[in-house]
Amino acid sequence: MPMGRFFILPLLLIILFIVGVLAALIFQVSPAEIYQAVSSPETLFALRLSLITSLLAVSVCIIIGVPAAYLLARRDFFGKAAVDVLLDLPLVMTPLVAGVGLLFLFGQKWLGGTLAELGLHLIFTPWGAVAAQTFIAAPILIRSSRTAFEAVNPRYELAGQTLGLSPFQVFFTVTLPLARHGLLSGTILAWARALGEFGATLMVAGATRFKTATLPISVYLNISSGELGLALACSWLLLFTGFLLLLTVKWIGRSRNPRAPIGGI
Amino acid sequence: MKRIFLALCLLILSSTGVSAAELHFFVGAGLREPVDRLMENFQKKTGQRVVVDYDGSGRLLARITASGQGDLFMPGSFFYIEKLQARGKIHSWRPVVAHTPVIAVNKSSAEKVTRFRDLAKPGIRLALGDPKAMAFGKTAMKILERSGLKDNILANVVVYGATVKQLALYVAEGNVDASIVGRTDAFQFRDRLDMIAIPDKYFEAETVAVAVLTTAVDLKAATLLQDFVVSPQAIKVFEHFGFLPLRK
Repeated sequence: MPMGRFFILPLLLIILFIVGVLAALIFQVSPAEIYQAVSSPETLFALRLSLITSLLAVSVCIIIGVPAAYLLARRDFFGKAAVDVLLDLPLVMTPLVAGVGLLFLFGQKWLGGTLAELGLHLIFTPWGAVAAQTFIAAPILIRSSRTAFEAVNPRYELAGQTLGLSPFQVFFTVTLPLARHGLLSGTILAWARALGEFGATLMVAGATRFKTATLPISVYLNISSGELGLALACSWLLLFTGFLLLLTVKWIGRSRNPRAPIGGI
Repeated sequence: MKRIFLALCLLILSSTGVSAAELHFFVGAGLREPVDRLMENFQKKTGQRVVVDYDGSGRLLARITASGQGDLFMPGSFFYIEKLQARGKIHSWRPVVAHTPVIAVNKSSAEKVTRFRDLAKPGIRLALGDPKAMAFGKTAMKILERSGLKDNILANVVVYGATVKQLALYVAEGNVDASIVGRTDAFQFRDRLDMIAIPDKYFEAETVAVAVLTTAVDLKAATLLQDFVVSPQAIKVFEHFGFLPLRK
């Protein structure tokens, strides 16, 4: 097929591009440096902190984002277009700017005092990292969840209702299971984004080693102090974790039974 | 479609075509304000185009080493020029101004912190730079060691930052009471914070110097720029932004 052959060139180019970058990165790191990185308490702390904060952030995203996405997929309301644009704004915002905004919002002058009375300290704590990651990752989760819900034929929900299920029962036993693939891959993309989040976290939580320094911040600190080898080894840890995440997305995508539950009645 | 493609090609050509005679100047991010002003003057005066590349000095060092390119380098601390010199990457260097540390105090905390020793008082909230990643983090740690109050002061640190402007912002916003930053960084936010001098015996001022790299393509043009940056009128611009002249 001539067109297929023609289109293979762009694909090869982009593959070479990515492989080139990865190869350039790995040839800079010696095995000793990788060992040093994965055995240093600082890196291990950063990895653990990154995993915990990103998991918490994604949990918050799910609890808030999935119902919000369902509403957006099923209902029309006044100002929906504006809400739509607003929800996508964090995606185009430079994370550093988002971080400064969060710093102002949660600082003493605005919400900081009230939150402190409730026992919640966001500025300069790991909780700040969770807030920053939630802010950055939520739009991704909402977008993919909404698409997933829109792909579910409302007739199934109607059928459930006529069979005597309450709207909540319909949501949990009909809609959610049918949308689960889209929801899951959206969750994992949001998680990957939260895991790699740097700019917003840096401003809100700071770069305190052994307290708020997540893996991306640790990479940044090590690059800044000229420890390129250690920084690259940390990057590899991050890349490897990201790789596992994306592989999971692909796996979910493949195991989807194409169209069967979604097709019309 | 065709027209858009053509326009794009033109745009790309016009933005890269004239790059041959440009000077690439790596500058520490903390020096941005005076250098922006100076480069405007320099380009007007000589017609020589200069691309200024601002970043943290440590990251610039990493980039110069990794890329093996660039004409001039002016980091916030002399330490970085020494590092490149050891690798044979410095053609020549000349000192410019002093980069002195000060204590920046939020105006609403002015009563709590009036002198250096107050940083060690219980209950004071401090921000410091990461001692490995940031020039002023390194400087601050040296100052604390010499003051003999290191443990008490470190106990008050609630956050470490990765850039000096981040620290100045934390103080200006009142997220912390005080921090040790560059005089010029505090100067920038002077409407919201006070500056307190650090006792002279605790530190040596950092020297800002401008170096021509061995990778410079046009040595004559690069030296011209170096001469301009150390000229008396350039020093005046630096002083305007809170830098202090070097003590002879």
